[in-house]
Amino acid sequence: MLPSFVNMLAWWQWSLLALVPPAIVALYFLKLKRTPLEVPSTYLWRKSIEDLHVNRLWQRLRQNILLLLQLLVLLLAMTALVRPGWRGTTLLGTRSIFLVDHSASMSATDVRPSRLEEAKRRVGELIEQSASGSEAMIISFADTAQVVQEFTDNRRLLRQRLQTIQPTARGTALLGALQLAAGLANPGRTATEAGDQQVADPLPATLYLFSDGNFPAVPDFALGNLTPVFIAIGRPDADNVAITAFMIRPSEAGPQRLQAFGQLANHGRTDREVTVELLMNDVLIDADQLRIQADGSRGVVFDLGEVPSGSLRLQINSTDPLVLDDVAQAGINTPRRGRVLLVTPGNAAVQSALATRHARELAVVETAGPDVLSNKQYQQESAAGRYDLVIYDQCRPAEMPQANTLLIGRLPPRANWHGDRPAKAVSGPQVIDTDRDHPVMQLVDLDGILIGASATLDPPQGSTVLIDSNLGKLAAIGPRGAFQDLVLAFEIVHTTAAGAVFNTNWPLGQLSFPTFFLNVLTHLGGGQGPAWGASVRPGDPIQLRSDVPADTLQVVTPRGAVESVPRDRNGSFSFRRTEELGIYRVQQEGAVTGRFAVNLLDGVESDIRTRRAATVQIGYIDVTGQGDWEPARLETWRFLLLSALGVLLVEWYIYCRRVTM
Amino acid sequence: MIRYTAARGSTLGTPHDAHQMGPSGVMPTAEPTLLPPELMAQLQRLELVTRKIFRGRMKGERRSKRKGQSVEFADFRSYVPGDDLRFLDWNMYARLDRLFLKLFLEEEDLHFHALIDASHSMGFGSPTKLHYAKQLAAALGFVGLIRADRVKIETLGLRQPARRPALRGRRSTWRMLEWLAQIELGEAVPLTTGVRNFCWRNPGKGIVVLITDLMHKEGYEPALRYLLAQSMDVYVVHVLCAEELDPKIQGDLQLIDCEDQDVAEITVSGPLLKRYQEALAALIQGARDFCAVRGATYLLAHNQIPIQDLVSRYLRQRGLVR
Repeated sequence: MLPSFVNMLAWWQWSLLALVPPAIVALYFLKLKRTPLEVPSTYLWRKSIEDLHVNRLWQRLRQNILLLLQLLVLLLAMTALVRPGWRGTTLLGTRSIFLVDHSASMSATDVRPSRLEEAKRRVGELIEQSASGSEAMIISFADTAQVVQEFTDNRRLLRQRLQTIQPTARGTALLGALQLAAGLANPGRTATEAGDQQVADPLPATLYLFSDGNFPAVPDFALGNLTPVFIAIGRPDADNVAITAFMIRPSEAGPQRLQAFGQLANHGRTDREVTVELLMNDVLIDADQLRIQADGSRGVVFDLGEVPSGSLRLQINSTDPLVLDDVAQAGINTPRRGRVLLVTPGNAAVQSALATRHARELAVVETAGPDVLSNKQYQQESAAGRYDLVIYDQCRPAEMPQANTLLIGRLPPRANWHGDRPAKAVSGPQVIDTDRDHPVMQLVDLDGILIGASATLDPPQGSTVLIDSNLGKLAAIGPRGAFQDLVLAFEIVHTTAAGAVFNTNWPLGQLSFPTFFLNVLTHLGGGQGPAWGASVRPGDPIQLRSDVPADTLQVVTPRGAVESVPRDRNGSFSFRRTEELGIYRVQQEGAVTGRFAVNLLDGVESDIRTRRAATVQIGYIDVTGQGDWEPARLETWRFLLLSALGVLLVEWYIYCRRVTM
Repeated sequence: MIRYTAARGSTLGTPHDAHQMGPSGVMPTAEPTLLPPELMAQLQRLELVTRKIFRGRMKGERRSKRKGQSVEFADFRSYVPGDDLRFLDWNMYARLDRLFLKLFLEEEDLHFHALIDASHSMGFGSPTKLHYAKQLAAALGFVGLIRADRVKIETLGLRQPARRPALRGRRSTWRMLEWLAQIELGEAVPLTTGVRNFCWRNPGKGIVVLITDLMHKEGYEPALRYLLAQSMDVYVVHVLCAEELDPKIQGDLQLIDCEDQDVAEITVSGPLLKRYQEALAALIQGARDFCAVRGATYLLAHNQIPIQDLVSRYLRQRGLVR
């Protein structure tokens, strides 16, 4: 073991320090300013001094011993400033990659001040004791990874950049971070983003993973010449009670009445009793006491009745180390009815289906004839996104509108829906299957449905077939940018110059027909019930809609910052800066038009028990966590400073002895 | 500049404090300070003693070697013409038919000299060493006066006005005190010179009490030799103050001799103070041995010892008074 040194001062600080020893010596050589004192006679004093002068050498040594001791104190202090130490067995390699987890679970405070700060402290220690010339790189990761600092041997820069890592409320995905690190360490792999110039440098590196281990195994990954070291941060016995789900749904009693559903999980070894509180606009409206078994979960339901718009907050009174998951929020928006345009030459069945009480609550339906398609005002409004849903019955537009569409008996004017060429005209197809899992087809029973003439569909890739028959696909829904197109291949009513003729018996006495249109209005109509705002995970993007043609929306974050969101090419507003937990307000021209919430609601992140003893599987390697891992460097500066203090005491003792004896 | 005494605080006296005589000479308050009535009452019972039979100048209360006219028979001698016929012993003439003269011991007075060192160094201490010396001289002089001895108090310096006549008799007490009150600090005379001058002025025999601090760099031995050569009964009272016996100083100091302005730079340390004590002890022991060998009497007087104790205990033990 060789001693190593860590320089703690800049060159100019050393220069200043180097002036101190000559200054001390110079002070000793300066003539002392003695206090004059008149005495009866110097006779006896002279004799005393002469006696002492006999032992001049010893006396000089006595005089100078204070100087020597002071220089020794200074030497010890200066030696302490270069932090001498002895390295132990965990030597740093010449290249190190520090992966620092800053996901939600790293905000837990079971180690003070938090797991992330502890991880940063340990990384800092490793940086401190790295040999000069060795390079290191810092990558932070949550659900995505980013390079905090590329490979550098500048310790000061590494320390500075390390401090920029901030806690997030995101989940954990190790794979991205490993890919990023491996791309920078292994030749022949592609690193993303900033580190490309380092790819050609195929040196092995040590991969230090600072995490609490709350992430799934990464089996399909080869580390190459990365040597992994997993340093587990946190306590394996950290208990946590978390809200893992929070939803607002209409009550069975009526769509205007809401219910709040919450799910609480106890990630601990003992049963826990918690108080759950529900607050509406920060006013307590309900509370409940729950006992949750160890490693169990409990649901809780609150009947809200009719509530005004605002924010709902579900919180638990718990003193666990992670506070991010003790609160879940939801925005309550004012009910909004969708705008629907029905373009039809006349279809009483569809019009009736869209005129039910429930349908009227969901949407405002305008009806127009096919000639409106050539109307300029329609073209402008449909291109500006005025409608949430346009239903084309027995007709089709030249350009698809900026809205969801339902085409009845016609195919969309797009090449991948086969354009004008009906794939195959069939007669009397028998419905053999429907996709009941799709929200449009829920509770829609097509047994006993007779269909006359129809086309069969060959929907584009990514579409979902909703109705299949013995002769071909009869209905499908497919994406078009931010919108969806639903195509019914058969007409409900065939309108001729002579009049309208039913092409199917579906509308006649079948409850499934209005149900289908109600589903269409609910799913595609853009209407929001009385109504709960969306809830997304931190960092996930959210699509916002505008009631009126506008180029920008304002989003007010929970902290009060206002973000401007421009309309994108698809006519929707995509908001991505959802890092903070809480309620976001969407504003248009100063008025709040909607709310959405960002909640953690992540059972994996809430289980903050550190997997210290367990192993993290990376590829074919099981990396065992080193929970009690500490840098093995033996620091001697404390000993040196204590020695300096001791020498100082000796010096003081000698000085006092000389003065008083 | 700091005076030595000042180093110990303002409670200690300086050469110019209340005990010091003013420049005009007489301070009425000095008389009771020098010789308080209760001390006078104690002193009245004492008398000066000399170990030597000596010649006085006037008839006194002491037997003298001189044969004279007293009632105490001393010896016979043969008659020579011209002798006083009143002292012929007729009985002897009748028996032996030869003329013999009766000799009687003459009773004579004692010459007491107090020699005070009034150099600058005597101005230290509280009370100052000079004041202490004057008190001692006053006490011994008073004892002498009331026993009809010749009392003469002098200082070493030549700066004195006319030489004071010898005092005699109780009535002269106040004159003695007045004279003592006039003695001031500041005589820059070497001890040897002062003593030699004294010896020239006072060739006779008697008692001499030298009151000094012996802080003279040329040494005290020549001076004492002059005194001893006078075949006087010599007493050396070595007066030291607390600042000299146990100096309470510390730090880096520039010591300035108050008499010759000599400068000694010292850094006070334990060993240095030890050396000082050793030098002081050597000085005291040297003076004591010097005196003892030569028949003089040495007495170390700390200025904190009350003067009546010094006279009635220490000087009585050494045989100066009884």
